[in-house]
Amino acid sequence: MLAQHIVNGLVQGALYALVAVGLSLVYGVLEVVNFAHGELYMLGAFGLYLLFTWAHLPYPLAVILTVLAMMAAGLGLARAAIVPHLRRPFEATVLATLAASIILQNGARVAFSATPRQANPPLEDVVVQAMDVAVTGQRLLALAAALLAFAALQLFIRRTRAGKAMRAAAQNKDACRMVGIDVGHVAARTMMLGAGLCGLAGAVVAPLYDIFPGIGTTAVFKSFAVVIMGGLGNVPGAMAAAGILGVGESLAGGYISTTAKDAFSFILMILVLLVRPEGLFGRRVRV
Amino acid sequence: MSAAAQGQRAWLVAAVVAALILPLFVRSNYLLHILVMTEIYVVLALSLNLVLGYAGLLSLAPPAFFGIGAYTSALLALRLGWPFWAGLAAAGGAGLLFAAAIGVPSLRLSRHSFVIVTLSFTLLAQLAATNWTDLTRGAMGLPGIPPAAIGLPGLGRLVLTGKTAWYYLMLAVVLAALGAFAALVRSRLGRAIVAVREDEVLARAVGIDAARVKFLAFALSGLLGGVAGSCYAHYISFIDPSLFDFYYTENLLIMVILGGAGTVWGVVAGAAIFNVVPELLRIHPELRAFLYGIVLLAAISAAPGGLAGWVRARRAARAAEPSRA
Repeated sequence: MLAQHIVNGLVQGALYALVAVGLSLVYGVLEVVNFAHGELYMLGAFGLYLLFTWAHLPYPLAVILTVLAMMAAGLGLARAAIVPHLRRPFEATVLATLAASIILQNGARVAFSATPRQANPPLEDVVVQAMDVAVTGQRLLALAAALLAFAALQLFIRRTRAGKAMRAAAQNKDACRMVGIDVGHVAARTMMLGAGLCGLAGAVVAPLYDIFPGIGTTAVFKSFAVVIMGGLGNVPGAMAAAGILGVGESLAGGYISTTAKDAFSFILMILVLLVRPEGLFGRRVRV
Repeated sequence: MSAAAQGQRAWLVAAVVAALILPLFVRSNYLLHILVMTEIYVVLALSLNLVLGYAGLLSLAPPAFFGIGAYTSALLALRLGWPFWAGLAAAGGAGLLFAAAIGVPSLRLSRHSFVIVTLSFTLLAQLAATNWTDLTRGAMGLPGIPPAAIGLPGLGRLVLTGKTAWYYLMLAVVLAALGAFAALVRSRLGRAIVAVREDEVLARAVGIDAARVKFLAFALSGLLGGVAGSCYAHYISFIDPSLFDFYYTENLLIMVILGGAGTVWGVVAGAAIFNVVPELLRIHPELRAFLYGIVLLAAISAAPGGLAGWVRARRAARAAEPSRA
């Protein structure tokens, strides 16, 4: 039973990590908390539902198209709600992204209704049994996709010119402008990366659960706990905290109650804040 | 008394008199209902205005204190038979206590983390209201909350059931809240709150305990939120976990920001306009939330000072004109 809870928790952690890493990345580079981040996950889930379940495209193609579509959505969101407010007081971006979140979530309610839908992904019926742990293929795929995405993200940030520009912008935006790095471009690119990760989460993890317009709120609620615990702007910290939260929730849900599972993240977040206000992994912004 | 202050007092008296005689001209129960809701929202908007407009803290928790106040007085009335006034006081106290408990860990954080923690608190409150079914009956909500009853010496108990009675009761609550609010922002503490908002380092340098000032502002916003929630519960007589929906946070932000955060009358006007207009337009709630999002986004981009900021700019422009001529 214990091993089963830990495996389930790791899959859950992969979802939190995919959403939270983008959130932390955007904060690390732009010092903007994107309150519409959860809606990108929700849109990704509906994207997959439309492409795979409704239009009957092959699953891998539907996943790729969803990720690309969400990157485009991230660019649009950056243009509409983030880039115009970068140099204004911090409330401006908070409120602008909150407004974007409201628009997207209620737009989805009007367009798709609040009915929960099931995407029925192909690997959901394949069960892999090892010792006394049973895992569906879809869960393994979600875990593998998350790990692969993080490896690719680290390579991109460390090894490419665009990644270097992102790290530079995280350190000093004025110096970037002085040496000719367009901070607006960096902002847009960072948002596209974060949105792509949300799209991936929507395409591989969301089909494990019901899909409805409110799922972004829950996802972002957990992601906030993750980024606070990992240290706002600390990307590796967010990955680690997501794993801790996923496993911790799964154990709390399995051994205490399902309500305890949902309250767990908030209680853990408050405890971390009381002991270490800068997060578990230090204050320094690391992208 | 200066001419400006006299003018202000005249406007104030006119506004109070207008509010007092307004029900004489409103015959429809539906319109009266909107007016009572406006009064409740004014109290709640003042709660957000205190933290956001005066203390400069973007708190997304006022709806949580509103909901906590509503549940507190509803449960006290239903389970223990507490009278309205006692429940109202307990609801304010509960709002104050929860705000204090959340304020301690969250006010030490960066501004961004503070926003996140206050939003998470509202979501957690909804989770608790939905899942703690033994206490709150979960999604089924709490029906049959008794209306407010006031014991008058010699006259017996006066039970408020009609909309007009509620209008006047809420008017009394609003005037008391406005009076307390105006007194607070003019007090030493109020000036300290604004000083911390404007420049925390400078405020600390002149001996203001910034942490304490922010904590007090946040705790008092919890009190106001709890009071508003108690009134709502007794007026509507039914509450459920949707009270904590983000929709209300959104509504409030629009009222306070578009009215003009950091002003008193601007926020009152914002609460009135954004209660009455959408009701009269009768839009489907989801579509309304969608349109509100667009209004909010546009307001942040185009008019960050809100209605009050716009009026102030107009007045400044008019005052500058003669010197130019």
